[in-house]
Amino acid sequence: MFNVLHIMKKEIISGFRNKRTMIFMLAFPLVLILVLGSALSNAFKTTVSVSDIHVLYENNLNENAKPYFNEFRKYTEKSGIYFEKAGKNTDGMKEVKLGNADGYAVLDDKGVRLYTNGRNSIEGSILEGLFAAFADRYNLTAEIMKTAPDKVGIAFEKPKDDYIRTESLLPKKQPGAMDYYATVITTMICLYASLGASTLIQGERARKTIDRLIAAPVRKSDILIGKLFASLIVNTLCIALVILVSKMVYKANWGEHLWLICLLILTEILLSVNIGIGISMLSKSTAAARSLLILIIQLAAFFGGSYFKIENPGKWLQAIMDLSPLTWINQAITKIIYNNNLSIAVPVAAANIGAALLILLVSITALQKREGL
Amino acid sequence: MSVLEIRELTKKFGDFIAVDHISLQIKEGEIFGFLGANGAGKSTTINMIAGLLRSNDGTIEILGKNIMKNRRFTKMNLGIVPQDIAIYEDLTAFENVKFFAGLYGLRGNELNAKTEEALAFVGLQDHHKNYPKNFSGGMKRRLNIACAIAHQPKLIIMDEPTVGIDPQSRNYILDSVRKLNEMGCTIIYTSHYMEEVEEVCTRIAIIDHGKIIAEGTKEQLKSIITDKKEVWIEVKTKEPVDLGEIKKIKGVEMASFHENMIQIQSDASINNLNLILEFLISHHIEIRALQEKEPNLETVFLTLTGRNLRD
Repeated sequence: MFNVLHIMKKEIISGFRNKRTMIFMLAFPLVLILVLGSALSNAFKTTVSVSDIHVLYENNLNENAKPYFNEFRKYTEKSGIYFEKAGKNTDGMKEVKLGNADGYAVLDDKGVRLYTNGRNSIEGSILEGLFAAFADRYNLTAEIMKTAPDKVGIAFEKPKDDYIRTESLLPKKQPGAMDYYATVITTMICLYASLGASTLIQGERARKTIDRLIAAPVRKSDILIGKLFASLIVNTLCIALVILVSKMVYKANWGEHLWLICLLILTEILLSVNIGIGISMLSKSTAAARSLLILIIQLAAFFGGSYFKIENPGKWLQAIMDLSPLTWINQAITKIIYNNNLSIAVPVAAANIGAALLILLVSITALQKREGL
Repeated sequence: MSVLEIRELTKKFGDFIAVDHISLQIKEGEIFGFLGANGAGKSTTINMIAGLLRSNDGTIEILGKNIMKNRRFTKMNLGIVPQDIAIYEDLTAFENVKFFAGLYGLRGNELNAKTEEALAFVGLQDHHKNYPKNFSGGMKRRLNIACAIAHQPKLIIMDEPTVGIDPQSRNYILDSVRKLNEMGCTIIYTSHYMEEVEEVCTRIAIIDHGKIIAEGTKEQLKSIITDKKEVWIEVKTKEPVDLGEIKKIKGVEMASFHENMIQIQSDASINNLNLILEFLISHHIEIRALQEKEPNLETVFLTLTGRNLRD
C-alpha cells in the first residue's frame, strides 16, 4: 500500500510539473469553451423578436359579422398587429409581395383568404394562427346564432388579447451555446486524459527507468495502480477547475446537481485513463498508442456532439452516435441539468466503471505475464 | 560467503540460446568484472539477476536465497546502475534519489538521511535541488549511481557506468566503486573499457556465445596465454594489408590490421619475427615501429573470443 502511495505522490508531482498536460487539460478546454460558446451563440437561440405586423384587409363580411371583426382588430392591435383597410386601387397581393405589408386578408362569408410573404415566415405563421383563431370563434358564433340567437354575444363578449399564445414545452430547458459547450468540451477533454495515461508505462520504457522499477521490491500491479490513481487525481483536479471556471466566469449552466455531474465525470476520467493504459499495453510504441487514441477520441467527440449538436440524426447515424461514450455522458448530463433526471447517472456511471475495471483487469493480467513492464 | 550464486542458468529467445547453462559464484567483498562483446549474453545474465528477465532453466541465489522464491528479500539487497541513465528529468536530484530509495521501504527521516548520504557520496550534495536536465553527462551518471545505492544494498550491479563521460567524472566513478567496495558492497562491474576492468576488478569472467569461457583474477586470466607472444608493428600505409601470407608463417596464430597497426599473436616457443619482417619488407610495406607486448586483458579477451571487446 505504501508503494502505491509513494508512486502516486511522485506521479502527481510529475503530472503538475508537466506543462503540456496543464495546457492541454486546462487552457485548451477553457479557450475552446469560450470560443465555441461565443462564436456559435446564435445557433442556440430559442427566441425570435418580431416587430409590429401590418396587415391589409378587405372586409366583405355581412353587416352582422362586421362588428366581430372590428372587435378582433381592436384587440390584436394590443399585440402589435395593425390592420389597414385596403383602398379600392390597392393591389393587396402586390403590396405583400413588395414587402409593404406583412399580410393581405380578404374576409367574406365563405371564410378568410390570407396572403403572406414567404420571406417573412414567422410573421406569416402568426397571422395564420391569428385568423384561424378568429375563424373558429366566428364559426362558433354562427352556430350559436342558429340555435340560441340571444346568446350570440357571449362568444365575443369578453374578448381577449391572447388570440395566440405560444408556450414552449420545455420552458428554460434548453442549453445556450455556452452551457452546451461547457459540458461537451469538458467531457471531451476527459477522454483526452487517455493520451496522458498511455505514456504512464511507455514513458518509463522510453526513460529507461522501467528497469529500476522492476528491480525494486514493488509489485507490477502496485506500479500500475499507483500511476492510475495519480493520473485520475491530476486529471480530475484539472477538469474540476475547468468546470469551476466555466460556471463562475463563463456563467455556464451546470444545473442544481453539480456534485452528481462531477461524480459522473469522475467515472468517465476513470474509463479514459484505463483506455489509455490498456491501449498502451497493446501497442508497441507510444506513437502507435497515441495515434490510435487520437483517432478514437476524434470519432467519439464528433459523434458525441462535442463540436456541434447533431439534430434529428437518421437511424444509422443515431446507431453510430450511440457507440460514443460521449453521447451517453452528454445526454445524461443534459437530462440531469434540464430535466432533473438524476437516475440517468446510474447506468452511465455503471457502464463507465464496469468498462474501466474490465480494461484494468486485462491490463494487470497482461502485465503479470509479461517480462518487465 | 557467496553473495551471488548462479547455477546452470539458461535463457532462450525462441531458438536462440542467449545464455547457455552458466554457473558463477561471487563472494562477499569482490568487485567482479563481467566481460563480453555485444550479444555475448552479458546483459541477459545481468537482467536475469536483476529480475528483469525470467530464466528458462537454472537458479540464481542472492545471499543464499533463491530470487524466485524470496523476491522481496533478494531485491532489497540488490542495487542496479543501468547502462542507460535512468532518472526523471522532471524531478530534482534529491527527489529522484528519494523516490527510488522509497521503493525499498525507507520512510520519513531515514529516507531523507539516506538520500542526502547517497547524494553526498556521488558529490552532488550541492546540486540536490537542481533538475537533471541542467546536469552534465558525468553528473547524470553520478546521479544514476546515487539512485542505486541510497537503500544500501549488499550487491550492486553496475552496467557500463562510465559510458560517454569525461575522464574526470570517470575517475570519480571508479573511486566511488572502490569506496563502495570498502564499505562492504559486492559489485558486479561491466564495461567496454578493458583498462577500467583491469583497474578496479578483483575477479573477472569472460562470457562468449552465452557461455563463461574464462574466469579468475587478472593474473590467472593472463596466465592462460603465457604460451603466446604478441607483436604490434606500426606501418606507414593505412590501406589494409593482406595478412593471409603472414598467417601462414610458422607459429602465427592470429593476425589483424587496425588503422596502421598490424597485431600478430604467435606461439611463444617459435621465433618467427624475422620471417614476419622479411615478408613485410619483400612486399614493400614500410615499417615505422615494432613492439612486443606483455599479455593484458585485451589480449586475453581477443585470444579467447577471437574478437575485440568493442566488436
